[in-house]
Amino acid sequence: MATAMNNNTLSLFQLCDTNFPTGAFSHSYGLESYIQEDQVHDQVTLSKWLHVYVHEQLVHSDGLASRIIFDALEEGDLDKIWKLDRMLTVQNLPRETREGTQKMGDRMLNLVSSLYDVPILSQYRERIKQKQSFGHPAIVFTIIGHHLGVARSTTILYYLYSVISSLAQNAVRAIPLGQTAGQLVIQQFQGVLTEATDKILSLDEEDFGIISPGLEMSQMRHERVHIRIFMS
Amino acid sequence: MKDWTGILRLEAEERNGKTVAKNVYFQGAFKVMRPIYHDDSGQACYYILNPGGGYLDGDRYQMKIALREQARLTLTTQSATKIYKTPTNPAYQETEITLKKGSYLEYITDPLIGYARARYKQKTVVKMETGATFLYSDIITSGWSPEGAKFSYDLLQLITEIYIEDELVMYDHIKLNPTSQTMNSLGFMEGYSHLGSMVVVGEQASHELLDQLYQAIREDTTEYKVGLSFLPVAGIIIRILANSTQTIERIQTTCHHIINQHFFNTTPSFLRKY
Repeated sequence: MATAMNNNTLSLFQLCDTNFPTGAFSHSYGLESYIQEDQVHDQVTLSKWLHVYVHEQLVHSDGLASRIIFDALEEGDLDKIWKLDRMLTVQNLPRETREGTQKMGDRMLNLVSSLYDVPILSQYRERIKQKQSFGHPAIVFTIIGHHLGVARSTTILYYLYSVISSLAQNAVRAIPLGQTAGQLVIQQFQGVLTEATDKILSLDEEDFGIISPGLEMSQMRHERVHIRIFMS
Repeated sequence: MKDWTGILRLEAEERNGKTVAKNVYFQGAFKVMRPIYHDDSGQACYYILNPGGGYLDGDRYQMKIALREQARLTLTTQSATKIYKTPTNPAYQETEITLKKGSYLEYITDPLIGYARARYKQKTVVKMETGATFLYSDIITSGWSPEGAKFSYDLLQLITEIYIEDELVMYDHIKLNPTSQTMNSLGFMEGYSHLGSMVVVGEQASHELLDQLYQAIREDTTEYKVGLSFLPVAGIIIRILANSTQTIERIQTTCHHIINQHFFNTTPSFLRKY
C-alpha cells in the first residue's frame, strides 16, 4: 500500500506541517478574543469555535476560493485567480486578519517558490511586487496542489487541515490546554473537514464571502486587545 | 427579467452651490418626495417611499442613483423596510450607485424587518471615482412574527460591493439563514437580536478617525457590542450587535456626526420621519 500512496500527496503534506514556516503560529483569527472573554476555555468550547470557524467562515472564503482556483488552473484562466486574490482580500474586513493572512500568503509564496518551479507562482510574486495582487495562502496552496497533480477535493481537504491543525496548536498554547486535548480536537475534526470539503464542492459561486457576524466582530475586536500573544 | 415592482432613478448635480436633481424617474412601488434642504449647505435630502408598505412574494426593486461632480446628497428611507412572507420567490432589490469625483452620498437606511417565512436578497453596487465619498448604514432586526418569535424569517441576504475606479475595494456579504443556522450561538448573533453596519469610504478616512470613533462608542455595557476596522482602502467599517433598533441608531448617529465633522466640518441633519 505504501507505494500506492501518491508521492505527490506526500509533497503536499509538507505544506500542511505546522512547522512549515508561514507564520500561522502567530494568528488566531479572533479566537484570542473569545479566550479572553472566557467563551473558549476548554476542549469542548474550542471544538465549538473551530466548528463555526470552519463551517461558516472558512468554507465560504478560503475553501470556496480554493475550489474556484483549482478549476481556473485546469482551464488556464489566470485572470480568475487574480480576481479571487482580490476578492479574498477585500471581503476580509477586519484589518488585522486581512493583513495577517496577506503576510502569510506572501511568506508561503516565497518559500514554495524555492521548492517548486511553477511559472504561475513567479507571476503571482511579480503581481504582488507591482501591487496588483495581495497574496493569500489558500491560493498558493491550491496552485501547489494542482501543480503536484493532487486531486481537487484532496487539495481542499489538506488546506483545511493545515488551517485547523495550526489553530488547534495555537489554542493549546493560549487557553492553555494539554497537548493530548489538542490532538483529540484535531482527530475529532477529521469528519468535520470531510463534511466541509463536501460542502465546498456543492456551494454556489454566489456564496462566496458570507460572514459570520460574531466571528467577524471578534476579529475586529482583537485589534483593541492590549495584552495578546497573537497578531490577529 | 425586466418586470420590476418598483423602479427609481435619481441623478443629481451641483448647481451654484446647491445639489439639484438632473433626472428623477420612478415607477411602480417606489417613489421619492421632493428634496428637502435641511440647512444652507446645499446638500439635498431625498426620502424614498414604498407606497406598497412592504415587499411581497417575488417583488423586485431597482434603484439607480448617480451623483455628478461635487453633488451632495442624503438618501434615506421613509420608514422600515418590511419583507412579508415569500412562499414562492424571494423579494429582491438591486441598487447601483455612481459617484463622481468630489461628490458625497450618505445613504441611511431604516431597519430591515423580515416577517415570518420571508426571504429577501439585496445587492448594492457602488462605483466611485477617486475623490468621491460614500457613507452607508443599515440595521437588520430579528424580524416580526405573530407569536413574537425572533428570527422567524427564512433568509436575509445583503451583498455590498464598492469599487473605486472600477477596482473592487470592499465586498460585504451577510446571509442570515435561521432555518439552517443557530442564530444565538457563538459566532453568529451571540445572543443579540439586531445587527447594524456602517461603512464609510473616502480619502479623508484615517486611523485617527477610527480611534476617535472607537473612543466615542466603545462599550462599557452588555447592551451592545461594537467592532470597527479599517478597510483595504481609505475607509472604515463599524458593526454593531445589539437588542434594539434604537441602540444601533444611537451609535450610528454618533458615528455619522463624528465622520461628517472630520470630513467636512459639518453636522448631519436630523432626519424627521414620524
